[in-house]
Amino acid sequence: MILSRRGLLERLLQGLGVAAIVNRPVPVVQAAGEELARNESGPLTVRVTRPFDAETPVHEFKPFLTPNHRFFVRSHFGPPPPDAISEANWTVRVGGLVERTKTFTLKELRLMEAVTITAVVQCSGNGRAFHRPKVPGVQWERGAVGNAEWTGVRLRDLLAKAGVQAGARHVQLQGADRPVVVSVPLFTRSIPLEKALHQDTILAYEMNGRPLPLLHGAPLRVITPGWMADSCMKWLTEITVQAEESKGYYMQAAYRVPIQPVESGTTPNVPSTPVEAMVVKSLIAAPQEGETVKSGPVTIQGMAWSGEAKVVKVEVSFDEGKTWEPARLVGEDRPYAWRQWQLIWKAKTSGTFTILCRATDARGEQQPATTPWNPSGFLWNGWDRVSVTVTA
Amino acid sequence: MEWVGSRIGDGDGMRTLQKASSFVLASLKPSTYMKRTPRAIARCGLAGRPFSAFSLSVATLSAVIIMAGLAVVTAAQEEDLATVSAALAPRAEVLIIARCSVCHSPDLVAQQRLPRARWEATVEKMKHWGAEVSNDEADLLVRYLSARYHPGAPDHLPPLESEVRKAEPFTQDSVAEGPVTGVAARGAGIFEHNCQACHGTNAIGGHGPKLAKNPILKHEDLFWETVLHGRGPMPAWGSVLSHQDIADVQAWLSTR
Ligand code: HEC
Ligand code: HEC
Repeated sequence: MILSRRGLLERLLQGLGVAAIVNRPVPVVQAAGEELARNESGPLTVRVTRPFDAETPVHEFKPFLTPNHRFFVRSHFGPPPPDAISEANWTVRVGGLVERTKTFTLKELRLMEAVTITAVVQCSGNGRAFHRPKVPGVQWERGAVGNAEWTGVRLRDLLAKAGVQAGARHVQLQGADRPVVVSVPLFTRSIPLEKALHQDTILAYEMNGRPLPLLHGAPLRVITPGWMADSCMKWLTEITVQAEESKGYYMQAAYRVPIQPVESGTTPNVPSTPVEAMVVKSLIAAPQEGETVKSGPVTIQGMAWSGEAKVVKVEVSFDEGKTWEPARLVGEDRPYAWRQWQLIWKAKTSGTFTILCRATDARGEQQPATTPWNPSGFLWNGWDRVSVTVTA
Repeated sequence: MEWVGSRIGDGDGMRTLQKASSFVLASLKPSTYMKRTPRAIARCGLAGRPFSAFSLSVATLSAVIIMAGLAVVTAAQEEDLATVSAALAPRAEVLIIARCSVCHSPDLVAQQRLPRARWEATVEKMKHWGAEVSNDEADLLVRYLSARYHPGAPDHLPPLESEVRKAEPFTQDSVAEGPVTGVAARGAGIFEHNCQACHGTNAIGGHGPKLAKNPILKHEDLFWETVLHGRGPMPAWGSVLSHQDIADVQAWLSTR
């Protein structure tokens, strides 16, 4: 039963789905997963193969709405088995501190008043890869965000039917996704009751006018407009009204930020708070990083958004942030959506240029050069940056 | 991803790295790979306990020391790290495939660039959540991961130059094992911890094919060949499970 090292190595290489280079004097081992992580060929950039986590290449953000098949994908355990969420079996239950526990089928939800909201959904870790020192977690760069039209029912309409009791402060959300090993904590989250009762917080069954895709939480997911996606529970099956924030890893340890600045690279002893509203942010969708453009007028375009205020200004800099030129806000202007912007740049001299952008919202919050470091790398909103070459 | 204080065993990052560089190959005996089932079951008892230990003042202090240590990594030390990771790679990569890939693909591991303290905390967290690694294996992984995926390592790492010839065969002891009889009752737990992630609850299939009532169960040779040596995305288990373990899984699968 003795295996030669080479035999094992070859098998290991096969196991990794990597071409084995066997007749070199020193065989080359491709370390775990590196090939898979670099797959940029499809419409999405894959960060993790299983469970599938993938982000949208930023140049795909030119349209106002992000198409479903281009929308970033993120979950902790992957979608639940199809039978758990088939329309025939699936229900959502409202329990806890309510007058009467209620169970709804999808058909019943579809009979209730439908609302459509355009909202940015963004992973809290979007931009984690830019924090220095680096922090553990999926190394998202710029594209773990998207803007879509979500159609569904108001969460508060369900809560009203169940009757919220006095003393209720939080609403726990649980999806049907499960870890492969039972000792891994469930992805359980809660949102404060005010957010749950907000008229724009919905349970969506459609995305961009189509049935919600499986990877995006079918048949029903939460949309908390203006807030980061960790509240937007996918594959929703249980809603529990309660007095306290949810317990467990994903509410008490993960998805939190320190309430005061901390020294970079440390694990500080300061209180933390759950990640909630999005911070003001903008991205450059065109030109792309590394693109070569001809001298003359070049359209620089992108999008900007902020969690709880309107974007009022986007500016562009060509000199590392010493001076800024205002861009024009264009296109649709909807409350929780992103705002598109444009600037016609007269590129006269050839050479390499760095284009930066930053947004400001109605409260005066402005995108910083870099985001304060935090141990889990959340809420990155440093100036966006693209380098282009201008040729004569 | 999470807000957790790092747990630090060995405060001085550089000392550890240097110690590791003189380390040739993990002297793990195959026996440490075996008889893991009681431990696995014991660990199930921890299910659901939230992991949120902060060991703060020590952690903060040590993190500062480590940062200071990393700032003085010289070119020669960089080379040392490369030597360490190349030396540990054969065993560590097998563990990453067999042990760390149960819940997520290994690309999640390879994309990190972390100081040793955070690797320690991460591997500890994974153990706590159910990663089937012994203390020795965890130690080996931490040494390997912090030598290869350290904060100064480039985003695109060169492939590992592996000194494969010098390494020991993995399944040294297997020959001595002789024929074994599978015990279905034991197989359930082994399946849950090693196979279920890909082959689904009750072996009904998932990322990997359905194994319940799979014709391969009737083809001894093919079954053993696949499980011992792997095939395509299916990991090789020869270096991870004992023959008894595999026979137990096979026996259990036959009852599905
Ligand atoms: C029992 C299941 C399980 C096993 C086995 C496992 N992990 Fe994980 N690991 C997880 C989960 C769950 C996450 C969080 C995933 C997410 O956020 O998408 C994770 C995340 C990670 C991360 C990202 C950083 C973080 O803390 O989220 C790293 C790195 C990692 N694991 C390394 C490892 C290593 C190394 C091993 C092998 C020793 C391992 N894992 C084995 C469940 C597991
Ligand atoms: C990381 C995921 C993964 C794990 C863990 C895993 N397998 Fe597999 N397994 C696969 C995949 C994928 C295939 C299909 C391989 C192929 O396409 O050739 C497979 C194939 C097999 C086959 C062949 C089935 C057939 O129809 O030919 C057997 C037998 C098997 N696995 C047994 C096991 C056992 C026993 C374990 C646990 C000790 C295990 N697997 C753990 C992914 C996994």
